Amino acid sequence: MSFEEPIRFKDGERIVRVFIGVDTGGTFTDVVLLDDRGRLTFDKALSTPEDPSRGVSAALQNCMEGVERPLSEVLGRVEQFCHGTTVGTNALIQQRGARVGLVTTRGFEDVIIVGRGPMGRNLGIPVSQAMDFIHTERPRPLVPKELIRGVVERVGVDGRIVTPLHEESARAALEELAERGVESLAICLLWSFRNETHERRLGEMARQINSRWIVNLSCEVSPLLGEFERSMTTVVNAFLSPVMSRYTARLQENLAQEGLTRPVQIMKCSGGLTLPEQMKREAAATVNSGPVGGLVAARQLGKILGFDNVITTDMGGTSFDVGVIYRGQFEQEHTPFISQGVPVQIPAVRVVTIGAGGGSIAWSDGRRLHVGPQSAGAQPGPACYGHGGTEPTVTDALVVLGFLDPDYFFGGRKRLNPVAAREAITEKVARPLGLSLMEAAAGIYEIVTAKMSDLIRKVTVESGYDPREFVLFAYGGAGPAHCALFSRPLGVRQIVVPYTASVFSAFGVATSDILYTYAKSEPTPLEEQPGTIEHFERLFQDLEERAWADVSYAGLSRDQVILTRKIDLRYEGQMHEMTLECSREAIDSAGIARLREAFESVYEGKYGQGTSRKESPIEIITFRLEALRPTCAPELKPEALGPEDPSPALKSERRATLRGEREIVCRVYDGERLWPGARVLGPALIERRDTTLFVPETFSARLDGYRNICLSESHPGGP
Amino acid sequence: MQLDPITFEVIKHRLWQINDEQAVTIRTVSASPIVVEGNDFNTGLFTRHGDLVIPGPGSLVHVTTIDTTIKSIISMAKEFEDGDAYLTNDPYLGALHQNDLVVASPLFYEGELVMWVGNVLHHADVGGIDEGSFCINAVNIYQEPPLYFLKVVDNGRLQRDVEYTFMRNSRLPDTVALDLRAQVGALHVVKNRLTELLREKGVETVLEVMERSVDYTEEKLRQRFAEIPDGAWETEVYMDGDKRGCTELHRVFLRLEKRGEELFFDYTGSDAQVEGGVNSTYHACYAGTAVPIYTFICNGEIDWNSGLKRVVHVEAPEGTVMNARYPAAVSICTLGFRWLATVASMRVLAKMLSASEKYRDRVCPSWTVSSNGTNVFATNRRGKRVGALLSDHRGGGAGARSFADGFDNAGMVTSFLSFMANVESQEWKLPILHVFRKQLIDSGGPGAFRGGLSLITAFTAYGTERLIFKNFNTAGTNQSNAAGIDGGYPGSGSQATVIRGSRIREILSSGQKAESYEDFGGTVEHLLSKSDGILGPDDVFVFYSPGGGGYGDPLRRDTRLVQDDVRNGRVSPESARRRYGVVLQDNLEVDAEATKRLRETMIHDRLAGSQSSAAPLPPGSDGGDKAERIGEYLERISLDGRRVLRCRSCHRICSEILIHHAPLSEAGPWLALRWQGDSPDFVLRKSICPGCGILFDVSETRTQRGAGSAGLG
Repeated sequence: MSFEEPIRFKDGERIVRVFIGVDTGGTFTDVVLLDDRGRLTFDKALSTPEDPSRGVSAALQNCMEGVERPLSEVLGRVEQFCHGTTVGTNALIQQRGARVGLVTTRGFEDVIIVGRGPMGRNLGIPVSQAMDFIHTERPRPLVPKELIRGVVERVGVDGRIVTPLHEESARAALEELAERGVESLAICLLWSFRNETHERRLGEMARQINSRWIVNLSCEVSPLLGEFERSMTTVVNAFLSPVMSRYTARLQENLAQEGLTRPVQIMKCSGGLTLPEQMKREAAATVNSGPVGGLVAARQLGKILGFDNVITTDMGGTSFDVGVIYRGQFEQEHTPFISQGVPVQIPAVRVVTIGAGGGSIAWSDGRRLHVGPQSAGAQPGPACYGHGGTEPTVTDALVVLGFLDPDYFFGGRKRLNPVAAREAITEKVARPLGLSLMEAAAGIYEIVTAKMSDLIRKVTVESGYDPREFVLFAYGGAGPAHCALFSRPLGVRQIVVPYTASVFSAFGVATSDILYTYAKSEPTPLEEQPGTIEHFERLFQDLEERAWADVSYAGLSRDQVILTRKIDLRYEGQMHEMTLECSREAIDSAGIARLREAFESVYEGKYGQGTSRKESPIEIITFRLEALRPTCAPELKPEALGPEDPSPALKSERRATLRGEREIVCRVYDGERLWPGARVLGPALIERRDTTLFVPETFSARLDGYRNICLSESHPGGP
Repeated sequence: MQLDPITFEVIKHRLWQINDEQAVTIRTVSASPIVVEGNDFNTGLFTRHGDLVIPGPGSLVHVTTIDTTIKSIISMAKEFEDGDAYLTNDPYLGALHQNDLVVASPLFYEGELVMWVGNVLHHADVGGIDEGSFCINAVNIYQEPPLYFLKVVDNGRLQRDVEYTFMRNSRLPDTVALDLRAQVGALHVVKNRLTELLREKGVETVLEVMERSVDYTEEKLRQRFAEIPDGAWETEVYMDGDKRGCTELHRVFLRLEKRGEELFFDYTGSDAQVEGGVNSTYHACYAGTAVPIYTFICNGEIDWNSGLKRVVHVEAPEGTVMNARYPAAVSICTLGFRWLATVASMRVLAKMLSASEKYRDRVCPSWTVSSNGTNVFATNRRGKRVGALLSDHRGGGAGARSFADGFDNAGMVTSFLSFMANVESQEWKLPILHVFRKQLIDSGGPGAFRGGLSLITAFTAYGTERLIFKNFNTAGTNQSNAAGIDGGYPGSGSQATVIRGSRIREILSSGQKAESYEDFGGTVEHLLSKSDGILGPDDVFVFYSPGGGGYGDPLRRDTRLVQDDVRNGRVSPESARRRYGVVLQDNLEVDAEATKRLRETMIHDRLAGSQSSAAPLPPGSDGGDKAERIGEYLERISLDGRRVLRCRSCHRICSEILIHHAPLSEAGPWLALRWQGDSPDFVLRKSICPGCGILFDVSETRTQRGAGSAGLG
């Protein structure tokens, strides 16, 4: 797939430079190639989970067919090569990471086993599962009890050493772990972020005992309050860093052999990139970076199209992901759960997921109609796939209702079986509920669409935003069939189905910023005695020193990098903090009063007028620093707009059915043949090779200069 | 009006989401660890009559009590307008105890009252004689926190006089002020969103969905109960002391009868109401009884709402601990007899479910059976008064299941989101230093499946010379109440200990071992279940949350599971031998031969002295097809026109069941510490198959001394 005007590698005398983004997903590995004139091409190949680098090579090869140049030549012209990978995510889910030993303060060896009681079991899973008190098992701990050692030492809340480190027994403990074949070490002591002495000394001793150990100190990986979460972060990093280091090193080597001269940059869940050499410190940050690529792409595209506030929706086979970009900024979660019972203190772009996808199963208990959360997945898949699935899914409903053409699924690469879809819905839903086939199918469609609406509303309203101030991006193969309907009750301003919708994360990866984040907990009352301001300044300067070290290590020049200071504040006693930007000038005595004001104004914006309270003391918990090198990927180049009348791309007409057995006749357009400027009025279906867009009666859809389809309600005139 | 299943599902899902926004607001704004980490709050949407339709995921005991409170508000306030909100913490109007402040507001649409919205939250301190307001020193309600019934929002405006009064009575005014704002703010959020929904979908449709949702829960529960065999089950649980210094035992007796599609709980036979604040009001008793029905029978499949009240009936005679009369003290109700209602209910329900082939996977005899709550108050090094409830009691174990061990450190059965705080978070908030916090070895009740492990924690003062502690333990210093089932033993007891004049300062500065009481030195004082005092610099506070009970005969436990438990420090080698009959070599490999011999000897000892015998079925008579399951090892069959008991393990008829008594310490080393492990008031009563020696049942039973004149046989 590519623009009319293909990327040319001989552009007069000029040497063309390219930017490549590769995103490995569960099913496909996607590649996006962008040249320095802003022209792009993309393709995909099947993922190869046993050795993901093969899928990367295959996808790159496929992409070369579009540009008709050998891979080695293109790789030689690469300015930036960025990669989103599921290697870390998969190793975590399948528990196939390194054999980790954990060293902690004596008396607190069970921190990760106890997991703050039910937190280690009930968070990071859907609520309906947690409500099943008796059947929801606790996940196996990432470090078995026999590889956890307590050492004699203790630091107090004030950073004072209460019990000095007993080196002799600590050495014996480390030697025992070495004997037991530990490959990677996590060291997390109580209050180590207030006093690093003991952790650092243990680190030195560990390296003496086994120089090949990857030693993860919690005061480096995650110097933040809360021993359970800090231990888990350190352990996850220890668990994944050997896997990620090996994988990225091999990939770098393979690609170098094929001609790549630049380093492979790795995508993180914070929406930024890092280097393979950083995997020792940042392996855990690569987990769940996939969906974040989509948000990066949305922000980039939003910038081009002039949209500051964007709701992103990604609907695939099993899940529906929602994210929010407000005033060009991502929303961050400071301690996301990356799998059941596993919290990590790594800032991540917030993406909220529910089990609602094309493969979500519809079922009935004789009285009610439910959709999901179970999914038929890719195997056996929806009944209409003909792979032996007998459960009716959302995709089956779309086939029955006429929204999907069984003969043009995936551009005709896959034929669907409408009879199987009808049978499954009749058998499992229509008959038990006494509904007609069409009513049942329309019900499935409406319920799943309503769930999506509800989730979007929850994600935006919970953060204090009004969806009416947003534009909604719909991507992922299954989304465009639903987006007009799930957006309508939200009142969003416009819906955009991006041209790169099927490889959107890869597009995001290709255009991502380089971002390093640093944080340190230093619980302090905001309104304090003399010395506070100097203290804050010193803390930020420490973080800045670390940032500059990483920046020069990565070969970036200081003037390209923007540093942002932030602090997490809360009313004394609260458990949740609010993060505020905190400019260099903000910290003086007047600045402290301004911080309170800023805190209270953001607070009231979020929780309603009158919820803040002037008399309540405020405390600072964490100081944060971000080092950002904005993307140097070129801006996309728009094409000239053609005529509005879309009739040359008209393929046929098809009946589709909505609730109440209401039949509508949709014009069907070939999405591959539509050109920039073309305008389609509803009711219509626009079929692209990888997705079908439904344009309801009162909507119109227009292709912009970048071939994005922009949908909006209430068009003038009508057909 | 005809409501189709699709519209129903769409609107109900939206109502859920809207109500959840209330919970999110409260959790984020609250400044109280018991709310944010303990999840001791809840939110709900109610009909215009105050019936609960949509509950939040907070504490389950609140689910059934907010509606009682709203009904009280309706009948007391009589007239209310759009934009009003009321608060009350009066347990006799529906709050569980005085800390639980309900804030509720009517929702009007186009001038008509259409529904109620409300939330309830446990405030960290609302006054009364004891810090933290669980008043272990009170002997009547007038020594407990003040009771409020006030209009907190009038025509949309927060009433400053009300806020002031509420704050002024608290020892932690900043904390309760933020929490009150969280509650009011949450109502504000939810009312706006409901109004949008009513406009979009129409009042009639939304109200119809609410009504049908309640009907639907009733219908599904009826179906489920109909599938379970009829029968009656009984149990008794005990509270050891109703107030500070009290050693008296107070009994709860519960009989559950399952008839057709309904459940009938009856507390007749429970003790008369007491002086201390542990009494339960009737609605708190109902709420406590209903909890395990939500968690184990509805779980994620049947909506949690007031439809349950139509099929679950609870009888509790007035004037007893389960239905106290005003002005009985009730400030500890929620951790007092309300808690024991849940413990008793869980037990009889487990017995009921164990009799059902279809639902035996839901059997769970116990789950953190006691709330070993401890409030700590002090002046910190900045000279500020601080205080909070510690969270370690949420580390209790759950009872074993019919297919797997119980959950270790399972939290509360009243909420799946009730977490322990980090040690660092507790030390940041309070001037304390934890010496250790770890899983308690041998705390899970022995069984074919082991009960879940509990937690042991020790802390001392840090940065202060003086800590005030208030320990209000439901029960567990005498007997454990952590029942097992079908031959499983009880788990460890919920207890607290103070070590006075210890060597703790020296231990800390030198890094010496601090694992046993001998290591600490000083005087060990095992506390009564309601205790308070001051901790000085040389004192150490130790507490134990309760373990879970076991499932099935421990001699039937897979030896590899026992070995794995020993390897991972969950069971000691001594317990493996003494309680599971498993002999491990020094390298922790199972000695199969010695194990076989030991288990045979233990069975032999169980049968020793028995005159009774068990007969095999006479040839030709097979009552098997009409066998009626009673539990894992016991069933009832027809023989010569009579119903007789048969062992499901050896298949012999048991004309008589062997009964043995054993000291509590047979269950584990952590029961009745203040009696060195063997309480004079309780023993284990073991029911044994006379044929094969398998344990049908092990329960804690009151002795003659414990029962006084009303002794049990």
